[in-house]
Amino acid sequence: MTTNKPKPGKKKDDDSELIEAINSGQKKLFFDLVKRYQHRLYNFGLRMCRDKSDAEDLVQETFFNVFKYLKNFRYETKFKNWLYRIAGSVCIKKRRKSKFAPERELSLEEFIPKEGEPVQTELPGWAAMPIDKVLNAELSDTVQSAIQSLPEKYRLVIVLRDIEEFSTEETAQILKISPANVKVRLHRARLFLKEKLQEYFGNEPSYP
Amino acid sequence: MSRHTHDMKICLAIFAKLSEYIDNELDELTCQDIERHARECIRCKTCLDTLKRTIDLCRNTGDKPLPEMFSFRLKEFIQSLS
Repeated sequence: MTTNKPKPGKKKDDDSELIEAINSGQKKLFFDLVKRYQHRLYNFGLRMCRDKSDAEDLVQETFFNVFKYLKNFRYETKFKNWLYRIAGSVCIKKRRKSKFAPERELSLEEFIPKEGEPVQTELPGWAAMPIDKVLNAELSDTVQSAIQSLPEKYRLVIVLRDIEEFSTEETAQILKISPANVKVRLHRARLFLKEKLQEYFGNEPSYP
Repeated sequence: MSRHTHDMKICLAIFAKLSEYIDNELDELTCQDIERHARECIRCKTCLDTLKRTIDLCRNTGDKPLPEMFSFRLKEFIQSLS
């Protein structure tokens, strides 16, 4: 049996040994790989899909594809990055199958108040106080809802960058877009969330 | 709250780069320009700080537990594959 062992210069990580074992025929070990990522992937699904059953479908479909294609894994990237590339593709495919309206674009201009509008010149309490004094279950749900209300292509970027903590380069590779595009989408997604938080905390106008 | 009356050109240029500044993805000179401007412009400083806090909140919302029933079903599904 031939297996794709990491070659010199390839990305070996904490999962490489387990993947080698699975690919050398120990299929039962695949569940160990699932256990490492099921919780993270489920939460990625919750943020991406809006409901629990879709998140569960996303996890199952992602692991099904991982199982199917693990033999082709070339260690050219970390396994985690490859996993999220598959999960991201599953999300996009799901959306194409659904009957959602076309995605809307976010422009930088929409976050800039019209000239003459009042602007915020004092740091609001929610940004000035220690985070543990601000963050509670209700706010946590508000942030989650705000993330879910982002158009998908912005949501994918902010979840990968700010929650899953992939770098700009890694996010670009996962989504097969340029790093510059990642930065543009991330900035607009963050500004969108900032506005939602300002609305939640009392409709305070934004800047500049 | 106040009326925004000063020249917005610099503010707008900085506004477009705030995320890259927060992520340390800008060159040193640009960072210094932003810091200098933020010391003088309360609006930009407020925007920068509220954006930073938005990111902090996003990172700290926490995860939901994996539902036990789903965990069980997933295990069965994986076992059916191998």
